[in-house]
Amino acid sequence: MRRVPLWIGISVVAAGIGSAAALLHAREAVPLPAADARFLFVQPGPAARRVFLSFDTIAADVYWIRTIQHYGGDRHSLRTTGRFELLQPLLDLTTTLDPHFNLAYRFGAIFLAMDPPNGPGRPDQAIALLEKGLSVTPTRWQYAHDIAYVNYWYTGNALEAARWFEKAADMPGAPEWLRPLAATTRAAGGDRTGARLLLHEMATSDQAYIRQTAARSLAQLDALDAIDRLTAIVEQYHTRTGTYPRAWSDVVNAGLLAAPPVEPTSGAPFLYDAATHAVTLSPDSKLLPLPHLGRR
Amino acid sequence: MFPVRVFGLTKDFPQGFWRPRPHRAVDGLSFDIPEGGVFGLLGPNGAGKSTTLKLLLDLLRPTTGHAEILGRPAGDVEARQRLGFLPENPTFYDHLTAEELLEYFAGLFGYRGEDRRARASAALDRVGLGADRRRPLRQYSKGMVQRVGLAQAIVNDPALVILDEPMSGLDPIGRRDVREMILALRDEGRTVLFSSHILSDAEQLCSRVGILAKGRLVAEGTIGELTRHTGGTDVTASNVPSAFVDRVAARVRKTSRIADGRYRFELPAGERPEPFIADLAAAGAVLVSVAPVGASLEEAFMHALGTDRDGRADSPGPEGAGLPDDPRAGLQGERQDPDGASRSDRP
Amino acid sequence: MTARRIALVAWHVFKEHVRDRVLYAIAGFALLLVAASILLGQLTAGEDVKIIKDLGLAVIEGAGLLMTIFLGVGLVSREIDRRSIISLLAKPLPRWQFIVGKYLGLVLTIVVNVAAMTAALLVMLKYLDWRALPVERAAWDAVAADPRLLLAALMIAIELALLTAVALFFSAFSSSALLSLAFTIGIYVTGVFSLDLRRFGDIVEAPSLVSHVVAAIGWIVPAFSAFDIKAQVVHGLPVPASYLLLTSCYGVVYAAAVVVAAIVVFSRREFT
Repeated sequence: MRRVPLWIGISVVAAGIGSAAALLHAREAVPLPAADARFLFVQPGPAARRVFLSFDTIAADVYWIRTIQHYGGDRHSLRTTGRFELLQPLLDLTTTLDPHFNLAYRFGAIFLAMDPPNGPGRPDQAIALLEKGLSVTPTRWQYAHDIAYVNYWYTGNALEAARWFEKAADMPGAPEWLRPLAATTRAAGGDRTGARLLLHEMATSDQAYIRQTAARSLAQLDALDAIDRLTAIVEQYHTRTGTYPRAWSDVVNAGLLAAPPVEPTSGAPFLYDAATHAVTLSPDSKLLPLPHLGRR
Repeated sequence: MFPVRVFGLTKDFPQGFWRPRPHRAVDGLSFDIPEGGVFGLLGPNGAGKSTTLKLLLDLLRPTTGHAEILGRPAGDVEARQRLGFLPENPTFYDHLTAEELLEYFAGLFGYRGEDRRARASAALDRVGLGADRRRPLRQYSKGMVQRVGLAQAIVNDPALVILDEPMSGLDPIGRRDVREMILALRDEGRTVLFSSHILSDAEQLCSRVGILAKGRLVAEGTIGELTRHTGGTDVTASNVPSAFVDRVAARVRKTSRIADGRYRFELPAGERPEPFIADLAAAGAVLVSVAPVGASLEEAFMHALGTDRDGRADSPGPEGAGLPDDPRAGLQGERQDPDGASRSDRP
Repeated sequence: MTARRIALVAWHVFKEHVRDRVLYAIAGFALLLVAASILLGQLTAGEDVKIIKDLGLAVIEGAGLLMTIFLGVGLVSREIDRRSIISLLAKPLPRWQFIVGKYLGLVLTIVVNVAAMTAALLVMLKYLDWRALPVERAAWDAVAADPRLLLAALMIAIELALLTAVALFFSAFSSSALLSLAFTIGIYVTGVFSLDLRRFGDIVEAPSLVSHVVAAIGWIVPAFSAFDIKAQVVHGLPVPASYLLLTSCYGVVYAAAVVVAAIVVFSRREFT
């Protein structure tokens, strides 16, 4: 029997698997209605723990991984409806199965609080999740601190934030800087200086994700400051020439700017609208949406 | 036309990671098997018989060389259409009955419908399994499985039947039946190639034999050709002077001392006994007996393997010879010079 | 003649499995579970039809996986182990036909089993439908004995056919059934997570080379999770025809490639 040379065999197999992958790629473009409910074989609730017998913490780990995948998957999906709809139930289930799942409370709250398109924009659910954590472990100052942060950053409720910072500061093991932070927050309301103070402390957190979140928020603050500065320059141009610039190039030609401004962390340009004279960050920027924090 | 032709067949097996030198199971084998008749591939265990047959069937691939079956390269589907094969210690499918197995195989040979059933049934009848054909094979005894194996080897009316150790593990009745079957296949004009380490079977069945040792073909030919140089005469005498023993050492194949002055001399086939007896009488010895020794394949076999050289001739029992450590190759049809010093049992 | 020989080998495989106790153990267990889902459905207020469909489809897939893996890894290696392959390959049966026949035989076994279990599930749902009050029926996402369950079962069958090819490949490749089993399960698990691998870069912050390598693995391994439309069917959500068509083509093309790989490996094997 004459055998086909090995390289032909291997090529046929490789071509077959390659075309299969191409088919799979083509199929991914076909939208399928989300029925991610398969992730949730069990509804959150007291019964959930019994279903997994003695493996409930393992199940919690599995659901936690599912949570991250659901979050990461939806963040990059082009779907417009039902985004992150399972985030809260998954987190609830995870923390029910393992009530001491520190990570699930803290990251989960940040996921939940994120504004669209980066998250569901549900600070209320985030705070509820952290309060659930506090009801299990009332002495964890981090949960109180995170509630304060969500209030401060996502709901803009500075007074509530200050109250939670104070609560956190009263808990055992709380760091020194929580009390001045609480005071500043109470005094300054939602201004950027107070926010910077908070974020600089968060940027030294033991959790990498908290550090990344803080860095991003700091970049957002910087962007807000830059927009204010650029608005001032536009006004300066108006005072000097009597007209508003038509584009950044006019401002550059007038010597008020060296080059059209760019946001340094994302590389996205600042946009100038000649009709409204407003300065905004390019919609391409990953920093959007910017928080609503007043200037000092 | 030669149903089987083998050209310089060599097969190496890797011996594992730590032993990079491969084991050469078959070494430069070349032979042709003429049409009709029974060819016995003989040799001790481990000589490479099964490997050779598997190379012929394309179950193994030669390292070098090639083989032809019924005029086509080994493994060719057309050739297998007219080939029957019984593996050594065959096993089939436990869940099938003999009838189902035969019909499955007959189907693979392309028979259909009534023809397929009839052929399966005829093959089973022929091996004497007519009554048990509807029993699952898992209930079969070793001998019955061997019969099923024979049946599946002949279901396609093959021109060439290859049987690997067809008689191993069978009781005397089973062996006789297999022998008769082989002779019947021969009488029908089929070519039969079988391997065996049992010489008496080969002696009764084969028109030609090939003897393998350590992967090499050390002898090949008709039984007559191979046994031409065996046999001879056993002469026993008493009162033999020891000077006489020394004197005739070159003429005898073997000298055995039975008691003081009493010796048995084995004269080779070429040596006529009369002058030796005359010399014996002249030396003052008393002749006790003269017995002709028939030509035997066993003799030829041991001779071909070269095991009778230095007394390590593990005498082959009825089930065959042990594997000699140093078989001498290239002895085909050649008379080994008697080596008196080591071959005689002189005191 | 080629097709006939392949069909003979396939039929022989089917016959062997039909006479195998393992198959009946798995199938009996599956039927028991499907039946038990009626009980379970009564414990959960309201959603009994949904739960029976969920559980029924999960059991069909699970039992199918068990059959495929356990019968598949022995498909070729068992013939080699008990040396029946030696007399078989001496027949005028080219090795590629042997492999294709073995493959189709197990696929036939699996398809018959999936069909039987799906039929049992539909009968049970029909019974519930007949028993249900109109007001209860109105609350269902989809009709009880939904013909679309057949689509879900078809996708499961294609998934299992792909897994059969993988098991067959390892069976033809390795002489140890245990090793084949481990490899097959490994590939299956990787395949189930293939979507997550493809999206690895989106989910995890990692150097781009790592993400690319992981994503490439995600594209190359058989995407077993791609065949899962159970939830959509159970909830009565639409599944586009093009989605089903592309998924089926994916399964068939991939399985064919793996069978070719099995042939490439097997036709080079030697049998001592």
